[in-house]
Amino acid sequence: MSDFLYKKNKKFYFLLVIPALVIYCVALVGPLLIGTFPSSLYNWNLIKGNKKFIGLENFIKLFHDEQFIHALLFTILLAFVSIILSNVVAFVIAFALDSNIRGKGVIRSFFFIPNIISGVMVSFVWMFIFTNAIPNIGEKLHLDSLAQISWFGNTNMAMLAVIIVTTWQSTGFLMMLYVAGLQTLPKDVIEAARLDGCTGLNKIFRIQLPLLMPTVTINLFVSIAGAFKAFDIPLALTGGGPSNSTQTLALNIYTDAFGAFRTGYASAKSVVLFIIVAIVAIIQLSMTRKREVQM
Amino acid sequence: MRQHNKVEVKIWVKSVICLLLGIIFLFPVLLIVMNAFKPNGDILSSFLAFPKALYLDNFNQAMETMNFWIVFKNTVIVTVFTVLAAGTISFLAAYGISHLRGSISRGLYTLFVFGQIIPFHTVMISVSVLATKLHLTNSYLGLIFFNSGFFTAFGIMTYVGFLKSVPLELEEAAAIDGAGVFRTMIQIVFPLLKSTTVTMAILFFLWTWNDLLLPNILISDGALRTITVNLYMFKSATNAQWNLLIAGLVISMLPIIIIYIAGQKYITDGMTAGAIK
Repeated sequence: MSDFLYKKNKKFYFLLVIPALVIYCVALVGPLLIGTFPSSLYNWNLIKGNKKFIGLENFIKLFHDEQFIHALLFTILLAFVSIILSNVVAFVIAFALDSNIRGKGVIRSFFFIPNIISGVMVSFVWMFIFTNAIPNIGEKLHLDSLAQISWFGNTNMAMLAVIIVTTWQSTGFLMMLYVAGLQTLPKDVIEAARLDGCTGLNKIFRIQLPLLMPTVTINLFVSIAGAFKAFDIPLALTGGGPSNSTQTLALNIYTDAFGAFRTGYASAKSVVLFIIVAIVAIIQLSMTRKREVQM
Repeated sequence: MRQHNKVEVKIWVKSVICLLLGIIFLFPVLLIVMNAFKPNGDILSSFLAFPKALYLDNFNQAMETMNFWIVFKNTVIVTVFTVLAAGTISFLAAYGISHLRGSISRGLYTLFVFGQIIPFHTVMISVSVLATKLHLTNSYLGLIFFNSGFFTAFGIMTYVGFLKSVPLELEEAAAIDGAGVFRTMIQIVFPLLKSTTVTMAILFFLWTWNDLLLPNILISDGALRTITVNLYMFKSATNAQWNLLIAGLVISMLPIIIIYIAGQKYITDGMTAGAIK
């Protein structure tokens, strides 16, 4: 029966895939394979219009491009610090909210709202805090050092600002994943541990955390892949400055492509970003798949 | 009884602590909302105080300066049609892929999954070149088209995953009852995937609504801007007048927060399900 149905409808099934296939290839796969990859081998300036094949020269140049190296290093720093901070905070909050308390839903939303509003909004909210609220508090408390911090004029402080805002935005989302993970833990195991006298921090670190490792793994990779695409917050918050100190890889590509119109060179950077994100994503996919088999 | 009360008190104490933590966490947003109701002078001198009166001038001025209603309309049009288009083509393709067999099915599936690992930033240059060639810049259609193209990878992967759980016997039974293959797909299978559809619609909605990059690349005509890009541009237009900027910020945040409150359960479920997949 089902073979009969399959033969009868095979063409129909194939027709269903056509619209998605066409739009997907024109919008995404085509631009990558026919656009970005070949462009990276050219010395090409979109405004000047010259286009000359130079092979791998762009990629060799990348290794000596301080601005690009700095963008790569800042992206790694941002990823590293914000991932650790936001995962730790998210984990603690998820535990607090997993216990028996009132108004869980409302409290969870408080942590989640930064995640549903855009990076631009989040950045402007914090810009107000950095340029008005914190100096104001500093003055009231007569803490001159706090009042006089130049958040956006100082390289280190601007990097810190981007890290704080990124962490703040991603915490709520990771918290939700931890809450979801905690709810799937087998109740009988935890109850047995409790009866054996394993409570408090002991219970968290010896029972719940080990059981939660799959969620931790996923959260880490979700946040790593996300961090390498960081764009909105550095653009809206600092514009990449001062003196390019808060440029992420994505922002560096953007300014190079749409500010300097160095199409070929920016494409080479895009290829590097693609390779990094692809490696992270493949590791993530294979880990999720492994987990699925175990379950 | 006393034991019971003790437990009860402990729960309440914990709840209040958690609530306070939540308020502290969201305090930056609360400060913004509070200060949007104050004249500029009051913001700079006493930003922590509650507004003395319900001062609405900031909002009127911000809405006018940022052409709020035009921008809102643009965003709604682009978002609604992106969700509809991307959702529809994803469902159709996923249905096709999950019913096809052998290497065609596997090949198509792999091709779409591959899209999941392409970050938009790596194709943005080529997309802007292509959009110019196809005359898709400065148009709603351009945004809807490219967004739909990027979203199908995720949409198809998710739908295929859930279609596996729909028993084929159900479709055979419908066929025996005389339903055509199209009717089976729409009337029997599609309703079974309601929660997947809701999840996906919410994610596509948030991604489109909050997007800064694609509209920034494709739209140069101010009358066609979407809400997120408009807020970004609004900052330079306000000349660092905080009263205007934060009023504009509040107006821009409002729609998405209202939608969040209305669909809270679905949104959190949908986003977490999306991340695990």
